[in-house]
Amino acid sequence: MAGVANPMAGFRLVAVDEKKRFMLALIAPAVLVLVFFQILPILTGANASFRDWHLNDPKKTWIGLTNYAYVVRDREFLNVVLPNTFGFLAASVAASLIAGLMLALLLNRQFPGRWLVQTIVLLPLMVAPVIAAIMIRWMFNDQFGIVNVILEAFGIAPIAWLTQKWTAFFAILLTDVWLWTPWFALLLLAALQSLPPEPFEAAQIDAASAWRTFRYITLPMLRPVIVVCVVIRAIDAFRTFDIVWTISGGGPARATEVFSIYAYVEAFQFLNFGRGSAAAVLGAIIIVVFAMALYRLLNRWVEVSR
Amino acid sequence: MQGLSRAWGLTPLRGVAAALFAIALTLGAVVPALAQEQEIKVGYMKNPIQDASLDIMEKWAKANNVKLTRIPMAYSVFMEKVTATLTSGADQFDMIWHNDDWGQLWKKWLETTDDVKGLENADPWPLLAFWNDDHKLTTVPMAHTVGTFFYRTDLVKPEEVPKTFEELVSVSQRLQKEGKVKWGYVGGMSMNNTWFSFLWTLWANNCDILKPMLERDNEKLKAARFEPALTEPCHREIVEYWWDAINTHKISPPGMTAYGRNEANAIFMAGDAAFTVVDSTHFGEFSDPKRSKIVGKVGMAPFPVGPRAKVPTSWNEIWGWAIPIGVPAPKKKLVKEMLAAMMSDEAGQIEMWKKTGGPPPNVKLWPKLAAEDPDFAALKHAVFDQTPITHAAYYFAEWPAVHKAYSDAVIAAVSGKREDIAKVLEENVEKVRRAGLGTN
Repeated sequence: MAGVANPMAGFRLVAVDEKKRFMLALIAPAVLVLVFFQILPILTGANASFRDWHLNDPKKTWIGLTNYAYVVRDREFLNVVLPNTFGFLAASVAASLIAGLMLALLLNRQFPGRWLVQTIVLLPLMVAPVIAAIMIRWMFNDQFGIVNVILEAFGIAPIAWLTQKWTAFFAILLTDVWLWTPWFALLLLAALQSLPPEPFEAAQIDAASAWRTFRYITLPMLRPVIVVCVVIRAIDAFRTFDIVWTISGGGPARATEVFSIYAYVEAFQFLNFGRGSAAAVLGAIIIVVFAMALYRLLNRWVEVSR
Repeated sequence: MQGLSRAWGLTPLRGVAAALFAIALTLGAVVPALAQEQEIKVGYMKNPIQDASLDIMEKWAKANNVKLTRIPMAYSVFMEKVTATLTSGADQFDMIWHNDDWGQLWKKWLETTDDVKGLENADPWPLLAFWNDDHKLTTVPMAHTVGTFFYRTDLVKPEEVPKTFEELVSVSQRLQKEGKVKWGYVGGMSMNNTWFSFLWTLWANNCDILKPMLERDNEKLKAARFEPALTEPCHREIVEYWWDAINTHKISPPGMTAYGRNEANAIFMAGDAAFTVVDSTHFGEFSDPKRSKIVGKVGMAPFPVGPRAKVPTSWNEIWGWAIPIGVPAPKKKLVKEMLAAMMSDEAGQIEMWKKTGGPPPNVKLWPKLAAEDPDFAALKHAVFDQTPITHAAYYFAEWPAVHKAYSDAVIAAVSGKREDIAKVLEENVEKVRRAGLGTN
């Protein structure tokens, strides 16, 4: 009997005291919400991706990797959707970061009416993306849009913005940058205001120019915050759906289709829920790998600058 | 309170128990009263006609102590959302809007409706879209939706209304030259709006999306392996016609390939275009002084015809109401009673036409209405009295996928260079075919 393990030993290991039970009870609602509204839907979607699951006739028979094979071989996905998605991601994150940084630097100074400017700058954060997209769609309308009215005032011929790939993309990008610049500005402003004053005072004593102070003191000290902002925003930009769907619907034809629109079209317009789910799972894998690579790359940039 | 508790001899625990008992007693009195009122949940698109049809049913609901709960959804997600609800067995709706555009997508998931009283007064032609495999009906008509050629009566006399595609160009250009309008023709062209540009001209040129032309028998289409007609000369002519309308003749706005019906209607209602095609159900919007600058200046006429046709081809479809198959039997019976009441409410249907431009589902009312109402008489002449007639969609489950693939193909062709049109159409044949076969 000496060699027989006590079956209750395992229970003792996981036994929790009253304090821990209280803590577990506190987080239980959040965990339940996460399980039922995040984890279970993800698992259901992942399960569908391995099955013959048409929305109108869900046979749900196991077909292995067939849906995945279709997506990775689809020329539309490889030649249009992925380049569009990463192009949009790069342009949107870069433009929002630059504009947000400029705004943060501006708002970090003392000037009359700063609170008013600060409030106005933050307004886009309060606008739902779909509302912003509808507004932009009408602003870029070739007949009634304000953009063409302004162009015509300068003697420039009106443009049918949403009928060509690059002009439609420009409208989409502008909306995204407009919506996200305040987010960058807010976080970078908070970071700027938490920087220690000593290096700046030393630079002032050394008569360093504003540019050199920014280049060699402000920017290196902001890098950790910039890295986090860029990674979070890049992940979000990868899955952008609402503004593209509202402004161009992925068109003309499929010219502005991005990853999330592709998954939606496969699942809900071609009604192939299995294939749409496979596209979504593939997208999730791509963005996880991309985000990890981006984080490592940017982190190295921070390390080098220390 | 403490004094009161003491006076009644209540400990806190007893107090809670007493309170719960009191609540239970109150609920016991209220719940039976509430239970008498039944609820019918309706999933529909927020649209004046659908609301008007529900208003007719509301009268019956109030008289029968039924609560009618309206659950509006956007058109752009309606089909997807309702398909997912039907196939998942969720009990979100007791009645839903059904549209012929979605073909036979839901045939397995809907209750049959042949036993609804009043259906004998409906036009049998548009009901073809709603038969299931057992040849049973799965809808009850709400209103007819017919593509209608609208023109500005203040600019064009009835005898000057274009009868051919060529005349549509020449009359438009004349009006533009005279400075009367900015554009000749405007219509929706983006995905799910192709009826108002590509499709009506396709049918008016004796052409179609799939071969055999103008065939809607699924067995025959299947036998032909859903062969697209994209590379047929009649089809190329249509794509070239729209390319020329936008780029060469400039009778249509350059942004039209991206327009939905709302944008096209906005231009027409602003008085900036002389002609449009849209569902007749939008006539109510054109006649609304709060939204339109052309009230009282809109006429209806048969479609102009293309070079390969001698007479116009019109289409005549319906919007309907349907019952999800998973709805409990007593509720199905209740919904059918309500639908029968709607079908027999002649005054309500005439009111719906007057308020919204939605032609009544009871076709026996039409002659009377045409005699009384010149607008209905014009619509009847422009659409209902025309032959031949076609169906404005296909009625197999893969039609939404075919429509998406087709729409992408023709929009890409019109958005590119004119000399590349044939090539772009050729490149997309396989995609449309695969969509039809369900192998895309």
